[in-house]
Amino acid sequence: MASSLRHGLTKARSHILSRTRWFSSQSDALVEAKIPEVGIISGIPEQHLRRRVVIYSPARTASQQGSGKVGKWKINFLSTQKWENPLMGWTSTGDPYANVGDAGLSFESEEAAKEFAEKHGWEYTVRKRHTPLLRVKSYADNFKWKGLPKSEE
Amino acid sequence: MEFLLMNHPLDCPICDQGGECDLQDQSMAFGSDRGRFTEVKRSVVDKNLGPLVKTVMTRCIQCTRCVRFATEVAGVQDLGMLGRGSGEEIGTYVEKLMTSELSGNVIDICPVGALTSKPFAFKARNWELKGTETIDVTDAVGSNIRIDSRGPEVMRIVPRLNEDINEEWISDKTRFCYDGLKRQRLNDPMIRGADGRFKPVIWRDALAVVAEMAHKVKPEEIVGVAGQLSDAESMMALKDLLNKMGSNNVWCEGNGSNRDADLRSGYIMNSSIAGLEKADAFLLVGTQPRVEAAIVNARIRKTVLAKQAQGWGPDTLLEIAERRHPFSSVLLNAKNPAIIVGAGLFERKDKDAIFSALETIAKYANAVRLDWNGFNVLLLKAAQAAALDLGLVPESENSIESAKFVYLMGADDVNLEKVPADALWFIKGIMATGVDDWKIIRALSEVAGVKLPYDTLGAIRSRIKTVAPNILNIDEREPATFSFSIKPESTKKMDSAPFGTAVDNFYMTDSITRASKIMAQCSALLLKK
Repeated sequence: MASSLRHGLTKARSHILSRTRWFSSQSDALVEAKIPEVGIISGIPEQHLRRRVVIYSPARTASQQGSGKVGKWKINFLSTQKWENPLMGWTSTGDPYANVGDAGLSFESEEAAKEFAEKHGWEYTVRKRHTPLLRVKSYADNFKWKGLPKSEE
Repeated sequence: MEFLLMNHPLDCPICDQGGECDLQDQSMAFGSDRGRFTEVKRSVVDKNLGPLVKTVMTRCIQCTRCVRFATEVAGVQDLGMLGRGSGEEIGTYVEKLMTSELSGNVIDICPVGALTSKPFAFKARNWELKGTETIDVTDAVGSNIRIDSRGPEVMRIVPRLNEDINEEWISDKTRFCYDGLKRQRLNDPMIRGADGRFKPVIWRDALAVVAEMAHKVKPEEIVGVAGQLSDAESMMALKDLLNKMGSNNVWCEGNGSNRDADLRSGYIMNSSIAGLEKADAFLLVGTQPRVEAAIVNARIRKTVLAKQAQGWGPDTLLEIAERRHPFSSVLLNAKNPAIIVGAGLFERKDKDAIFSALETIAKYANAVRLDWNGFNVLLLKAAQAAALDLGLVPESENSIESAKFVYLMGADDVNLEKVPADALWFIKGIMATGVDDWKIIRALSEVAGVKLPYDTLGAIRSRIKTVAPNILNIDEREPATFSFSIKPESTKKMDSAPFGTAVDNFYMTDSITRASKIMAQCSALLLKK
């Protein structure tokens, strides 16, 4: 048992090392590729290792709720494969990450989300967060004297 | 809290606002678990505000947000407060529908369930919905929206804040067009047989037939028209495919025979939508922002200090250009004059003359400076700007008249009467589910023997990067580098025919909105004259 575990570990290590070598051979590249450590070690299938994800901060709801939950960062896996299962009418998906982003991943900052995505080897784009522009307004301004009335032309 | 809840019904389990209700949140946080109110709760008769907004007026807490929105943002004095004390109620006084293009926003504004969405009523609960943040395509504004879906079905569309574009509003067309997505879809490729009926076929056969047809005709007889809802990737693929086949007759609907894609400043909103607030005089030419881009109209309205002159034809425009019109002095005195040109003018033959007159005006009014660019074109269709950025301009103006093979990529509004009767057709609807348009074109290119060099979305985007890198900068506004000052002067004469209306029916402008039942109801009820 122990030997098989050790064997598994060395296998994973050599895998990482070979990856490192592969990347270091391209060290003159403009963009330095990060090794997706977590992705490789946790045994995630190959086709899900390098996924395109979007890092974004969910907008405030359109209705008049408070803003307590605004400002978190999420990762969206851009999964679109969804269908209604004919057996029960429930929604099926062929993507194991389909519900992970919304339900499971929430970050305090953009950097934390980026770091997480890099660790997993996901190719990410970051969407800008939109914040409201607060203009100073006063009810009293409605009754402020705005100078002499202008003559109509 | 107790006073607010005194006359508020205990409707939460049957209320559409439940779960996203400000009053519910407040009473969960601060409210008492029992009331001391023993009188009879007041009841208010529900109002009929039209096919979009459902009212349950007993739930109203008289915050008057809807009234203020209607008068201050939407600019219609439809809603008001009647009565006093416990008899106070929100209403239209006489039975009247809300006629604003922005009326759907009162649903979001209402902190309780008094105003809710009629098409969404009792369809889903908001905690069952999964939001996807995206951009609206029903007009050229590109409002930021969130599409809420339950399972595979789109349930509703709500706005997302973007101060540069739509602030926090969206137009009714954007909000309620979604039921058009569920109707009249093309799920399979179909070929019209000898009996004139469409028969579903598999993709391989369909592509083989199309490739064979495309090879039968001469390269210059091939024409491609991208639909108004096309994405940049597909338009790039379409142009590449046609160019590889030897034709350069490809354009996007709405742009017509417009071949001025050289100067970006000639077809974008140069002062930006948010920048319109800085303008102090507006000259609107051949455009009706209220129906063409309701959100931009709200922006213009916000800048109410401005004076507007809306001429009725090229004669007025010529008068202003020659400084004979009283409005030219207004433009001269304005600090930041804004000229907004409707994209409906692209279809006119005397477009160059109109644009040169406008440029004269912009020059003497000093509308284009380093710190202010007030020369704006208000586009109509979502795909227009990207199409021009990618260079989708027809090589010859009359290509459609000599066409033998027409590739319509989701283009529904092309005038096909001019196409010769012996033309071979390839019409592809926008609504092929599950298959991206660029993938179809990529597959077709391989069958036709002119293989396009990209297989993945990343690859096609890097191809776009070589043509128009600005398209890939999502969420960033890319201002035009050159203004019209380097454009050669046009010597053409203006036609005296009045400017037509570019949009007849606000609620139905593309294939999605035309398939929508809600939009049909709106146009039947609200556009009744």
